[in-house]
Parts: sequence; C-alpha cells; structure tokens
Amino acid sequence: MADEFMKGFAIFVTASLGWLVVAGWYKTPAFEGPQLLGTYPESPDVFSQIAIIAGEGMFYFAIFGTLAFWVLVPAINEAREAYAERK
Amino acid sequence: MTGTTDNSEVRTDGGETGIVPPDDETPSWSERKERKQGLARTTYEYFERSRREDQDLRQQSDYIERDVLGFPTWPHEMIRNLALTSFFVGMIIFLAATLPPHIGAPANSGVTPPIILPDWYLYWSFGLLKLGPLNPDLALLGGQKLMADRTFGVLANLVVVGAIAIVPFLNKGSARRPVEQPFWASVGVFGVILSVTLAALSVKNLLPIDAHLTFDLTFLLPFVGAFITYAVLKSMREGYMFELNRRYYRLRPPK
Repeated sequence: MADEFMKGFAIFVTASLGWLVVAGWYKTPAFEGPQLLGTYPESPDVFSQIAIIAGEGMFYFAIFGTLAFWVLVPAINEAREAYAERK
Repeated sequence: MTGTTDNSEVRTDGGETGIVPPDDETPSWSERKERKQGLARTTYEYFERSRREDQDLRQQSDYIERDVLGFPTWPHEMIRNLALTSFFVGMIIFLAATLPPHIGAPANSGVTPPIILPDWYLYWSFGLLKLGPLNPDLALLGGQKLMADRTFGVLANLVVVGAIAIVPFLNKGSARRPVEQPFWASVGVFGVILSVTLAALSVKNLLPIDAHLTFDLTFLLPFVGAFITYAVLKSMREGYMFELNRRYYRLRPPK
C-alpha cells in the first residue's frame, strides 16, 4: 500500500513539475496577469507545438497516473482478494 | 510471595544467578536441540543468560554505557545528507534555468506606491490593525469609543505578541503528540488558522471576497478548525492504538 502511494506521489510531483515548466514557458504571457493558466501563443513553431503537447500530456498524466495508483490499483487488489476469499 | 509453603530455602534478592544455570550445568546446543518439551522455558533461559552475560561484561569493563540512537556520521549520515543536498541543489538549478524569475522595474523612491503592505510574514500584524469594527462603543461614554481604532489595533498587537511571548515560560508538560493534549492542540490550530485569516484580512481589498465576509471568516474559521481538531483528536483517543502507545509515550524522563 505504501509503495502504491509512493508511486502515485512520484508520478504526481514529477509530471506536475514538467507541466509547471511548460506552462511557465507557454501559458504565462506576462508576469503581471494570469500565470501558468494563460493562453497558448497564436502560431507556435514545431518545437513549441511538441512542448505544448508534452505539457498537456504531463498534466493529464499527473492526474490519471496518480489516480491509477491511489485508487485504481488498490481497488483492483481489494477486489481480487475479495474474489479469492469468495471462491 | 507466590503462596508456595514448602520453599524452605532462603534466598537473597539478586545475589544468586537466579534462573541462569551455572556454566557447568548449561546445556550444550545439541542437548538443547534434543529437547522437545518446555521450549518457551528454554528460550527464556537462553535470553536471560545472554542478558546476564551482557550485564557482567558491562560491569567488568570500564566502557561508559550510553544509549546510541543513530548511525555514524561517516558514511551513513553524510551519504544521506549528500543525496538530499544534491536533490535540492539540483532542483534550485533546474528551476532557475527553466523558470528564471521576473525582474521588475526598479522602485521609484520619489513616488508613494498605491498599495502599501509589509512583508508577507507580517501580514497578520497588519491585519490586527484593521480590527476597528471590534472596538466597542461604550454606552457609558455616550456611544463614544474608549480609544481610537488605531490605538485598538496596536493594543491587539500587544495582546497577541504578549500571549506568544509567554509561551516559553509555561510548563509545556510531557506530552509530545497532539493526541495526548487535544485541547492545547486545538488551541494551537486556532492560532495557526487565525494568523492565516488575519493575513487575509490585511489584504482584504485585494481578495475576491466581500470585505464583511472576510472579516467574519477571520474569526469564524479559527473556531471551526479548533473544534474539528479537538473532535478528531478526541476520537483518535478512543482507538486501541492510543491506549497501546500511551505506554510508550510514558517511557520518557520526568519533566
């Protein structure tokens, strides 16, 4: 259980850090104003497009990866144990 | 003491070897292994003997006995500290390289800034200066206030700082965990939340919350947090582990 928590936590902090960097680069138009939650640039070049896609991916990976290890995997283990006891 | 009457042999306390058999009667390992009965007794004798040997060694030697609760500095703690230090230094370098801080325009000393605030860690004190609505209008004075609102704010600062300054002179007792003293733990949570809400009150003009609601929440939230803390800690005391752990809590030198 503690291992599952640590895996989920590691995914959360690492992916969040990656999202933070990309959001700081592309979603912070100016210091004064919306930071990290602003709008993407109008016409990004290829490298910016790759970075933006990677940032979005890390955002959802931070959420669903954490949920997978904190909720999904323990639930599957519990269900498996319950199923084995029923048999 | 145990009620046995036929124990005519007079023995002193602690002078004899007690349960520990003398060396010439100590069973060998093969003899021990052959025993099938009384394994618990054998185990007890074994540990009692090892404990006694340990005690004898300590008494014979001039080694000063100390409780060593830790690992050697080198290499154990140094390696650990190097790993932690490397991580945080690396994180600082990473963040400084990827997200360099914004450097604003230099301050113009000839112009008064529109918003005057102290450093963030003094917001609570600044919030205490804004307690004007609490300054009572006394009927005896014909609805006048005993002191100006600014004097009231300074007095509130004195009260809070005085209460904090008294803490080192109080006997803190032997409790080490909040669950042992739910009331004082909830008082502490009250203070922590109050410092945060007072800091929010000091910047109430900048908050996206109604100013009156902010003022009410400033004094409501600490009580809510304190009540929740007290309830949670009290319910934790009902558990089995608290009774079990309390014996461990008591294993400490007297205050």
